[in-house]
Amino acid sequence: MSDRWVLAPGGGSRARALVISVLAPALALGLALIVQPEHELGAASMFLLAVVAASVAGGIWAGIGSSLLGFLSLNYFFTEPLHTLRVHNRDDVVALVVFLVVALLVGWVVARAVAERDRATRREREARLLNLIATKALSGEPLDRVLSDLAAALVDALRLASCEIHAAAAGRTYEVRRTRPGTADGDAFDVPISGGDVGFGTLTASPPLREELLPEDRRLLEAAASQIAVCLERARLDAEIAAARLEAERSQARAALFSSVTHDLRTPLASIKTAVTSLLQVGVRFDPAQARELLQTVLEETDRLNRLVGNILGLAQVRSGALLPVKDPTPLDEIVESVLHRLGTRLAGVRVRTIFRDAPEVPVDPVLIDQVLSNLLENAARFSPAGGEVVVSVAPWRSGVQVRVADQGPGIDPDDRERVFEPFTQLGVSGPDAAGGSGLGLAISRAIVLAHGGRIWIEGTPGGGTAVVFELPVRDAAPVPQEVAAREAPS
Amino acid sequence: MTRVLVVDDEPQIRRAMRTSLEAHGYEVRTVGTGEEAVVAAAEDDPELVLLDLGLPDLDGTDVIRRVRSFSEVPIIVLSVRDRQADKVAALDAGADDYVTKPFGVEEVLARLRAALRRRQSGEPSPPVHRFGELEVDVGRRLVTVSGSPVHLTKTEYALLEAFVTNAGKLLTHQWLLRKVWGHGYAEESHYLRVYVRSLRRKLGDEASAPRLILTEPGVGYRWIG
Repeated sequence: MSDRWVLAPGGGSRARALVISVLAPALALGLALIVQPEHELGAASMFLLAVVAASVAGGIWAGIGSSLLGFLSLNYFFTEPLHTLRVHNRDDVVALVVFLVVALLVGWVVARAVAERDRATRREREARLLNLIATKALSGEPLDRVLSDLAAALVDALRLASCEIHAAAAGRTYEVRRTRPGTADGDAFDVPISGGDVGFGTLTASPPLREELLPEDRRLLEAAASQIAVCLERARLDAEIAAARLEAERSQARAALFSSVTHDLRTPLASIKTAVTSLLQVGVRFDPAQARELLQTVLEETDRLNRLVGNILGLAQVRSGALLPVKDPTPLDEIVESVLHRLGTRLAGVRVRTIFRDAPEVPVDPVLIDQVLSNLLENAARFSPAGGEVVVSVAPWRSGVQVRVADQGPGIDPDDRERVFEPFTQLGVSGPDAAGGSGLGLAISRAIVLAHGGRIWIEGTPGGGTAVVFELPVRDAAPVPQEVAAREAPS
Repeated sequence: MTRVLVVDDEPQIRRAMRTSLEAHGYEVRTVGTGEEAVVAAAEDDPELVLLDLGLPDLDGTDVIRRVRSFSEVPIIVLSVRDRQADKVAALDAGADDYVTKPFGVEEVLARLRAALRRRQSGEPSPPVHRFGELEVDVGRRLVTVSGSPVHLTKTEYALLEAFVTNAGKLLTHQWLLRKVWGHGYAEESHYLRVYVRSLRRKLGDEASAPRLILTEPGVGYRWIG
């Protein structure tokens, strides 16, 4: 029960009740003596008023105290014989007793009504505060802001000198301190913040110096602490769910990658084995043209397998950092020319046009950049219509050199232009055009360009085709981290 | 018959190479280790060596050095290693050519014939080299295309001579720089690029469709005229 609350609303004390219970009747006596020194009834009314006032201001004990003092004062100052506590007149005795009973009853009723009103006010404030806390907790705002707002609300509502929250959840720590300006801290009250078996931290509330927290205040602080625990628990679960989802996505990606690799490695092997076992069949005679066709299959599929293995190994090496570019200042047009010469018949279906503007030499690993250009040119040729034009340009660009390979193929949807750099991404390609593509060419190209400190991206061409563009810095640059850059948006 | 030594630790490759080479009329000996290779190169005196770099006992580059200590036999490296550093190391150790595995047999045969031609025509070098329209008279230091003289600077001519007297051979940047500019210029590969470019221009050769000088990026050049 909250007798202190009833007696001393607003955080007063017993001393205050005592002072009021003396002061109120004293004032009433003074007034009565000055205004109507001979009038007993008037004095009694004054004292009753004092009792009401004392009960409102100081609670029930102040009411009782002022009733008794009023009773004694009436007896001493207003009943015959004056200035003694004796009473001659029987009517006076009755009047005094009636006064005392009425005063006590009035005091009690008034004090109870006031206390009831205070309790109601307080309950409403508590409810508002808890509601605020719960709303905040669910607001989805950043947790440090939520905690800071809660601390401020507690300082306000409980008239604290300061409120601190120290907590840790989901790998983060939260340190919040809110204060009321110009108020020194009194004795701190600590409430553990915990949910179930998990301890998250502590809520520390300090009333102003030389004041104490009421039990209601403490209960309210405990309720706040458990709300804070709910917030932190939610943050912890959110973090766990996010981690689990990421892990699931990763393992799904790994599984997809693995099944792609398996498929892409097995397909050429299957063709080779089919062709060779056909030729080795006992008692079957192929005419020379048929035999040659089967052998041609073996050759093409072997080349395909070789390119695929080269790209897989290269990607793994570059990404793991096992393959560092051996850089040598090299004109990129020279590498382009060499690649065009080497690819020769593989580019037979398209017309290749080169545009070389005076670009400076760039420090590159020629073998790796050769691999990038081979991949880009093979892609361009594969997706070009028969006789389509592939334009390769090398030009100076800011502090580097830009190489652009543009085709007249069907183009790539802007939304997919980043995705195609993921390993084993082939966009809706099927039929004979897709043959020989491993879905690794762009992935390894990006890994190599990043290892040179450059960047690579895809643009559309005015004719609706695809242009793959990469830039390499003229100054020897540190490699761009593979993971970070994979997410970097192209500009 | 031309004797060819095939050094490879993979029996399948040895078998395939033996079958192909014998079908083209070469006499083939195959060995599987570096030590055997050095011994065979000394005892059998082969006319050409096809060498794998990844041997179980010795590194292929060491095999080249040891063979070079007593023999000038042409050595063609056949290797799965495709980094330019490996190529340059093997060529600098004394290999004549480098073919990356997996290879087409016809490519190996072409390189093999070129190396044997160089060896047979090696010394004394004929004074006049003809490559289609181009004629290089090493004795009189005269270069003509379709009969009309081509004016070359002293360095351009030295470079051209280095090429034509090593036709078909993969020449590293370092080797060419030493040969043409001398020691102390071995790292200045951009000199080489500038002169190769002007030589190509004057001889009417194109880098993207070369008929005379083929670029091996990061490694060097090969005269394919």
